[in-house]
Amino acid sequence: MRTWRSTIGWTVFLTVFFGTQPALATQGHGGIEGVYAHQFAHLFFLFAMGSLIYWLRDRGLVRDPGWRMIQYSALFFILWNVDTLLVHALDDQFELIEVQRIGLWKIRLTDAFDHNAVKLVYYIAKLDHLLCVPALVFLYVGLRRLLDRDRPESSAGVPS
Amino acid sequence: MTLYSLPIWSIDLIGSTLMIVYSFLCLHIVRKLRNRDRNNVIWTYLLLVCIGLSCFAISRSAGHILKQVLVISGHGSVWAPIQPFSGAINTLTFVFVGAVTLFFERIWKIYRQILKDKQTLQSTRDELLYLNQNLESLITERTEELARSEHNYRRIFEVSRDMIVVTSRSGSILNINPAGYQILGYDRSEASFVGKPIAGFLASETDWQVVKASIEDKGFVSNVEIELLHRDQRYIHSLLSGSLDSGPSGHEPMIHFLIKDIENRRLIEEQIAQADKLASIGQLSAGIAHEINNPLGIILGYTQLLIRDEKQNSERLQDLKTIEKQVRNCKTIVEDLLNFSRTSPAREDLIRIDEAIEDVLKFVQQHADLDRIEIRKKYDPRAPEMLLDEKKIKQVFMNLIMNAKHAIGDTGVLSLSTRYHIAERQIEISIADNGYGIEKKNLSRIFDPFFTTKTTGEGTGLGLSVSYGIIKNHGGEILVESRAGKGSTFTILLPVMASSREVSDVRFHSHSR
Repeated sequence: MRTWRSTIGWTVFLTVFFGTQPALATQGHGGIEGVYAHQFAHLFFLFAMGSLIYWLRDRGLVRDPGWRMIQYSALFFILWNVDTLLVHALDDQFELIEVQRIGLWKIRLTDAFDHNAVKLVYYIAKLDHLLCVPALVFLYVGLRRLLDRDRPESSAGVPS
Repeated sequence: MTLYSLPIWSIDLIGSTLMIVYSFLCLHIVRKLRNRDRNNVIWTYLLLVCIGLSCFAISRSAGHILKQVLVISGHGSVWAPIQPFSGAINTLTFVFVGAVTLFFERIWKIYRQILKDKQTLQSTRDELLYLNQNLESLITERTEELARSEHNYRRIFEVSRDMIVVTSRSGSILNINPAGYQILGYDRSEASFVGKPIAGFLASETDWQVVKASIEDKGFVSNVEIELLHRDQRYIHSLLSGSLDSGPSGHEPMIHFLIKDIENRRLIEEQIAQADKLASIGQLSAGIAHEINNPLGIILGYTQLLIRDEKQNSERLQDLKTIEKQVRNCKTIVEDLLNFSRTSPAREDLIRIDEAIEDVLKFVQQHADLDRIEIRKKYDPRAPEMLLDEKKIKQVFMNLIMNAKHAIGDTGVLSLSTRYHIAERQIEISIADNGYGIEKKNLSRIFDPFFTTKTTGEGTGLGLSVSYGIIKNHGGEILVESRAGKGSTFTILLPVMASSREVSDVRFHSHSR
């Protein structure tokens, strides 16, 4: 009985280690895969900010000025994520826009639809700092207001 | 389409710089918050968010600045291998921020729970601290309070005029207050009722069965009329209330009884009923007497006219004289009834009570055999002269002394006494004998007209009724105390009047009642 089991064990071991074909176990990650991962990360970040707004409102924390500012910060981060999703989609994901440098101060935009509106949208969307910087400013103001509250018993800014 | 790249570069560079600055400012603020309360999970949570954002800001902004610098300086190709690395770091950082943010709801719940537990702990701690600091004084205060309470309840138990008894469930006495001993006629120092059955102090075993059944059934008994057995074997009418007390756990249940002596109240009620009855009989008697008096007068008049014309020694004359005698008897009875009903006005004579008694006594001694009866006299010399109807008052004394003599028989003691109550301006006249007394069942009827225990022909049963009427007519009271075989005591209470007007006033009030 023991001999029979031992024989099966050795057969499996030798088959696994010496009978394999060229390795297919590790998948390659070339190409556009990184762009998708980045886009999913933006979606995840957007969802997290949305859920934060939901919980802040659900718990009534937005009655407190500090948490209200943090809510606005989350809103700007959502807008920023939408903006960057659009830019990445046009630029990297679907490669609908092509940017060429013309000298030091100019760029030429060409798009797959050959439509100026798409180029203008892309150009404006590239100014994403106009959304992410206000998001951080609101976060700063919100934290500042929480700090200014001199109420140790409700130091988390819980509305009384 | 050709556009200027300057706005993109400038906003990119300035924005990236501002992102780094503001992310670190946020980190700075949140560190201050956390330093204020290092155990606050919300601040820890925000610190993690800000660390993530700072990493993101550095990674992204540094990348953007480097890219713009390299592109502007004509080394754009250098950026190509760096770009994927920078992008990956960016991705990781905001995924981290997003992941931390998702935990906000859970962190908030934990924070609220901690806050609640903290407040509970704090209040418990404060309470414990207070108890610890004030334990001794609290115990002292509570002990004093208990002592006061115990004292108050003990006082109620001790000074109550009603009997309070605590018994076991079976009815065995556990405690009884001083009033209990007093009502039952015992001295607390000479007898202890503890351990004895309460049923032994009730006149009837049935009473105890009723009380016990009610307590077993309903848990209480309320205002049940019972009779207690006094030490001298007389019954005391009482009201009993009681309730079952389960007591603290581990203790035998007890029954608390409150027993109220209503004997005096019952006697007063009986007296009121007696007075009402006599007043009603008096009204009836007066009506009858008035109606009979006139025909009797006519019969007497015509009889006397017939006697005048009749020959001496004739048989007819004897018959007429018999009629005259019987009519006179009838008139006497009618007059007695009128006296009882108090309709005839009282004359006013200034007399001394003791002299009036003496006059009556002498008259009785002359006409009845009082030789073997010991007569005890005790007259109060302070008794003043009084305005009374002498004839009627003497009639009262005559009735009472003759009744006493009849009760005593051949030998015995007759006690005559007066007592002047100065404060009440009242004379108390007492005529007592040690004769055969009055049976209890007859006591309530002795003042009724025509009630007598004497054999037919010995008395009309009007003597005491007339006496009652006369005394009431003088604004007084006549009371009797008697025990069969021991003798009787009649007590007359007469107000001392200065004038006839006062007598009238008293009589008026007496009638009003």
